[in-house]
Amino acid sequence: MQSKVEVGDTYLVARAREGYLDAYELLAQRHSAMAYRVALRLCGNHHDAQDLAQEALIAAWQNLDRFRADSSFHTWLYQIVTRRALNKLTRRRDTGSLDLLGDAADPSAEPAAQAERNFAVDAVTDALAALPFAQRAVVVLRHFEGLSYAEVAEVTHSSVPAVRSHLFRARRTLGTKLEEWR
Amino acid sequence: MSDPPSDRQAHHLLASATLACGADVDLLLEQVADGLGGDRDAHQRECVHCQAAIEEFSAVWGPVTELAGNPVPAPPGLTAAVMSQIRVLVRDVWYTLQTTNLGVIRIAARTVAALARDAAHTVPGVRVALGRSTHGGLATPAERATFGHHHPHAAVGVLGRTAVVDLAVAVSYGDPVHEVARDIQRHVISSLRDNLGLQTITVNVTVDDTLADDGQ
Repeated sequence: MQSKVEVGDTYLVARAREGYLDAYELLAQRHSAMAYRVALRLCGNHHDAQDLAQEALIAAWQNLDRFRADSSFHTWLYQIVTRRALNKLTRRRDTGSLDLLGDAADPSAEPAAQAERNFAVDAVTDALAALPFAQRAVVVLRHFEGLSYAEVAEVTHSSVPAVRSHLFRARRTLGTKLEEWR
Repeated sequence: MSDPPSDRQAHHLLASATLACGADVDLLLEQVADGLGGDRDAHQRECVHCQAAIEEFSAVWGPVTELAGNPVPAPPGLTAAVMSQIRVLVRDVWYTLQTTNLGVIRIAARTVAALARDAAHTVPGVRVALGRSTHGGLATPAERATFGHHHPHAAVGVLGRTAVVDLAVAVSYGDPVHEVARDIQRHVISSLRDNLGLQTITVNVTVDDTLADDGQ
């Protein structure tokens, strides 16, 4: 479905709550890449990430009545994806290896450069996979999604000092592992 | 001034809390991870320890930055799969019903709504049009998601070759709203009649927003 103009999320959320599925479809189109990307980086493989993104977008629709107007739909969806990723990983207790790029390998890259890049990707993904979930989540939200400390705190229902503390530990761990890889 | 750190010392940067100059290692790594390695303060511009640490951390953190910058598109069909499941939850099973000498034609109410929405989109002055296909008697999840809202008009009420369509639209700021709304009604009725064979059509238009050129 196409819209002539990028109307704001607030407008679309209001219409979706009134029963306009079109409005929610526009929201889902707008935010599905983010939901998938965060799920992929948190839970580690394409199939789980696809399932998780789908579940999160459906859960968001089912719970629109709980959505607070003082938050943004974007932040709220981050919360749902992050919480569901935690639930999935807690149930499974097996994070496996993370594939942060999904199927998005660059076909134009030279083989040698691609191999080098894959090593770097593997090193980062392995290091990220080894982090405790809370640390992984703050790294993904801050350094991969570019959220502010306050936004990360809102998504994780935490405080800015707690986020900074998790990030300090996570960056040290990641830095040490990446140093070893080099 | 003390000697700059050797490679060996650089390798163990993260094992320490501070550099020889007293700078906090975590804050330096945070500076680099936040993409601010080039924004050096007066001390860092003079201090070989800080400069070496920033260079080292930049190299270490480089793959993370590179990976974070790689686009990760949504898998094809993700939104369609989501909407498909939601429509099942809504149980949107209302149909128009036309009987011909060849058999029966059923067209789902949401298809009527989609066509009406797309027709409304083509009317000058319309910035966004949303067609509602859910009926007043929503399934439980839909009722929860919409506060059990019941619009005073039927959303898309369909019976035989009769349809009542409910459209929510936002129009361009400055356009005569009542004229745009009337154009929508005429155009949607014409489109549904020509494309679906519906004969008795009522189009309720709710103009619930006006948008400036920047979409705000």
